[in-house]
Amino acid sequence: MRVGVYICHCGINIADHVDVEAVRRFAEREPHVVISRTYTYMCSDPGQELIMKDIEEKHLDRVVVAACSPTMHERTFRQVVSRSGLNPYFLEIANIREHCSWVHADAARATQKAKDLVSAAMAKAMLLEPLESQERGITAASLVIGGGIAGIQTALDIAASGFRVFLIEREPRLGGHVAGLNRTFPYLEDARQLIEPKIDALVRDPRIDVMVRSEVTSVEGSVGDFRVEIRTRPETRLDSNDQERVEQIEVGTIVVATGHDIFDPTEKTELGYGRYDRVITASEFERLTSPDGPTGGALRIGEKVPQTIGFIHCVGSRDKKVGHEYCSRVCCTYTAKQALWVREHLPDTEVTVFYIDVRTFGKGYEELYERAQKKGAIYKKGVPSEIFRRSDRVVVRGEDALLGEPYEKEVDLVVLATGLVPSRAAQPLRNLLKLSLSPDGFFMEVHPKLRPLDTASDGIFLAGTCQGPKDIADTLAQAHGAASRATTTLFQGKVQIDPVVAFIDPEICSGCGLCEKVCEYSALTLNPYRRVMTINTAVCKGCGACNSVCPVGAISLRHFKPDQIMAQVDALCPGR
Amino acid sequence: MDRQPQETDTSVVPVALVIGGGIAGMQASLDIADKGFGVVLVEREPTIGGHMAQLDKTFPTLDCSSCILTPKMVEVGGHPGIELLTYSEVTDVQGEVGDFRVTIRKKARYVDLGKCTGCGLCAEVCVQKDKIPNEFDMGVGRRSAIYIPFPQAVPQKYLIDPERCLMVTRGKCGKEPRCQTACGTRAINFEQKEEIVTVHVGVIVVATGYDQFDAHKKSEYGYGRYENVLSAIEFERLCSASGPTGGQIELNGTAPKRVVFIQCVGSRDRTVGNPYCSRVCCMYTAKQAHLVRERVPDAKITICYMDIRAFGKGYEEFYDRVQKEGVLFRRGNPSEIYRRGNTLVVRGEDTLLNLPYEEEADLVVLANGLVPRVDAQALGAMVGLSQTEEGFFQEAETKETVATSRPGVFLAGCCQSPKDIPDTVAQASGAAALSCIWLAKGKAKGSS
Repeated sequence: MRVGVYICHCGINIADHVDVEAVRRFAEREPHVVISRTYTYMCSDPGQELIMKDIEEKHLDRVVVAACSPTMHERTFRQVVSRSGLNPYFLEIANIREHCSWVHADAARATQKAKDLVSAAMAKAMLLEPLESQERGITAASLVIGGGIAGIQTALDIAASGFRVFLIEREPRLGGHVAGLNRTFPYLEDARQLIEPKIDALVRDPRIDVMVRSEVTSVEGSVGDFRVEIRTRPETRLDSNDQERVEQIEVGTIVVATGHDIFDPTEKTELGYGRYDRVITASEFERLTSPDGPTGGALRIGEKVPQTIGFIHCVGSRDKKVGHEYCSRVCCTYTAKQALWVREHLPDTEVTVFYIDVRTFGKGYEELYERAQKKGAIYKKGVPSEIFRRSDRVVVRGEDALLGEPYEKEVDLVVLATGLVPSRAAQPLRNLLKLSLSPDGFFMEVHPKLRPLDTASDGIFLAGTCQGPKDIADTLAQAHGAASRATTTLFQGKVQIDPVVAFIDPEICSGCGLCEKVCEYSALTLNPYRRVMTINTAVCKGCGACNSVCPVGAISLRHFKPDQIMAQVDALCPGR
Repeated sequence: MDRQPQETDTSVVPVALVIGGGIAGMQASLDIADKGFGVVLVEREPTIGGHMAQLDKTFPTLDCSSCILTPKMVEVGGHPGIELLTYSEVTDVQGEVGDFRVTIRKKARYVDLGKCTGCGLCAEVCVQKDKIPNEFDMGVGRRSAIYIPFPQAVPQKYLIDPERCLMVTRGKCGKEPRCQTACGTRAINFEQKEEIVTVHVGVIVVATGYDQFDAHKKSEYGYGRYENVLSAIEFERLCSASGPTGGQIELNGTAPKRVVFIQCVGSRDRTVGNPYCSRVCCMYTAKQAHLVRERVPDAKITICYMDIRAFGKGYEEFYDRVQKEGVLFRRGNPSEIYRRGNTLVVRGEDTLLNLPYEEEADLVVLANGLVPRVDAQALGAMVGLSQTEEGFFQEAETKETVATSRPGVFLAGCCQSPKDIPDTVAQASGAAALSCIWLAKGKAKGSS
């Protein structure tokens, strides 16, 4: 072995607290060390050249860099090693900045710790093995699950980028919830003019296969190479010639856009929905006021125009009693829209909106809320505790939180602002695609701040309300975003397989399956014939969870094998 | 199932210009560059990172902002497909989608980017060390005339403040400038001039972010008059482990025992011309109240509000948690703040109790709203964007927040309208998707 050790000053970051020259002298005397150097900034171009020159001239076969965290510059130094013709995995980093100089004030002890970390890195370096990352081809197509506005937009964007798309929808028609709306907030535009051109574009696009009445029944493979089985129901159950169809497709990436359900207000019996026909949901209100609805857009109770209407916020939202603590994000603003519709179309009808907080947060939403108030909608803070019948009207009873006194308000019609809940029909996808759920029951993104569209499984993405309630504008932004995420692999045309993955010794494995339970990426499966676990290296992230739970030591992680780690431990605890 | 042939347009330059290096611009750049297209990312400040780099923790998960942001900054800085131009500004845009000709002014750093190793020896010896208020810490901390904005800055390259450096302002600094002597790579060059470069790009993503509402405009809150009335971002720096107090919530060495937060400062307020909701203040205030509870356990904490808008994933739950931690939510924003002896008095009306209140405070934190960049109009005119009445950039269609009426120009993040980090990131990926639809046509150049 011929080892080179390079100690970085990181300007003053390391050198102010660690005596780098002492570390260098220490390393120089260690066995197999051919050269040991310090430099102000090892990652700079001259620093890199220093290492490359030594590899060539001194025929080094292992390199140890004592510097900052490997998350910062491991890639940089692997490239340096690789450019000199060595295997890039013949590099070991000792983190003497974040793990040492930045966190210790005593220079003498920090220097000793830096020596220990360097000696551990050298011990591991002796045992490093060459690894090669691999590339695999991909299928340049995507599957979009769900034909609401999120799925449609995602499919259109992927196709426009030049890739084949399969869009499947469980229902016989496309358009999802948006197709049932009358006008959209905050600018009161016709919802049909929003969704219909998108549906037209979708069905006309030669790169998109649209399959309605269809569901995913099985998914195999991994990013770049998913094999999906899709079952399509016949158009009518009566026609015996029309058979159920099962089809296999291959895609590189998958976007889940399965949307939401509407909260069922019969769960809140105190509101009387289902008992009193004068209590309706917001969705029903949309249909009753829609020109293509059952009444041609005329809001009537029997023959009569309602004289007083009460709108009730947060039905099934912000309500732990029904298991939905979260806010549904759209109800405040759609209620403002509906209240305004009443005041503009039925100016003699009195409107009262019962709320907890008014959450009109989007572009133009606060202005819509103001407009509804200016047009005469009365906002009362305090959602009702119950609704009951009095002759042919209903009474809304509750407490006004601002006045601190109870109210009873007799109205002709109550409209419930029902919240958004996770789609029940989408639940089977959880197992098929190995999706996780957030505590609120919606599909979970892999990182709530910086990766809102990605799932823990590479190649599978989320768009729209399946990830959590959101309005149309946010859904569309997310749908475009999901298209970007889903086309990255397709544009690259290949997937890189990192060689730092787990591997199994089939001679030792007993197939107990403990590893499968701890794997967050579903990389491990039981081979039913041989009764041993197998690993999908395309999916494995090399996190180290499986190898540490294996009771018989059948799994190891490349680049972090037991002997490599134990050598480090021995170096750190020489008296052991 | 190979990639389908598509219409190609060889006149499309397969490179995107991204204006703004905050989280929106970074995400858009990465999404575009990861697909194999070129990106020129122009950032006005000396580092990328934007507002997010200044935050301590992020709501509602309390992730450390730097810890999740800096790996992304490093990724942008090291991406072979991204040409990063910091301390640079776009000065002119000509042409149209497919081939915009963009002029960029690279301001003089007086430091050679190729030679500077970021070692920091220059800042140590600067005669003005610890004398200049650090903008990144909202002026609370101090720096030298040669500096990097914060330790994790990308690029890790120093620059000279041309307004404070004695060599730049007077042409003389002692016998010879100490920084130049200290620099081992001779990176400091006082002769450096600003540079004008021209690039050709196919599409443009505008991700210029927002300004914080200037609380001086609400003179009744005494911001700028009373030193213990802080803006939200000043308070973030006070909480931050990398901030001037090392994360201790202290004013002049003492922990405040009575803290009042005031929401909707410059939001939902027609008297200052901002009728809109800024979308993030309710939640960041709840988070800041939590940080006070964590670090000053016996503090009395009050949040004055109009409506609590906790609408995102996990937000309502976080609001609930903060209430349970003993933070008092008082409905009714104060009408004024005045000083009585050494304490502040917050006066207003509690609309739930229907009673006037007067509350004493050692510290008041204002939840400043998000407003359009002060120079949004100039940039809009240059790029060909219109603005809403409030001054945010106008999208082409009301529900399409990404595309603009100018083909090939897309929006990402708060320059379009206030939004939180996940909504910004999702939208930025969206801007990348629409950009790449154009760029993909150009990529086919030369292929059959």
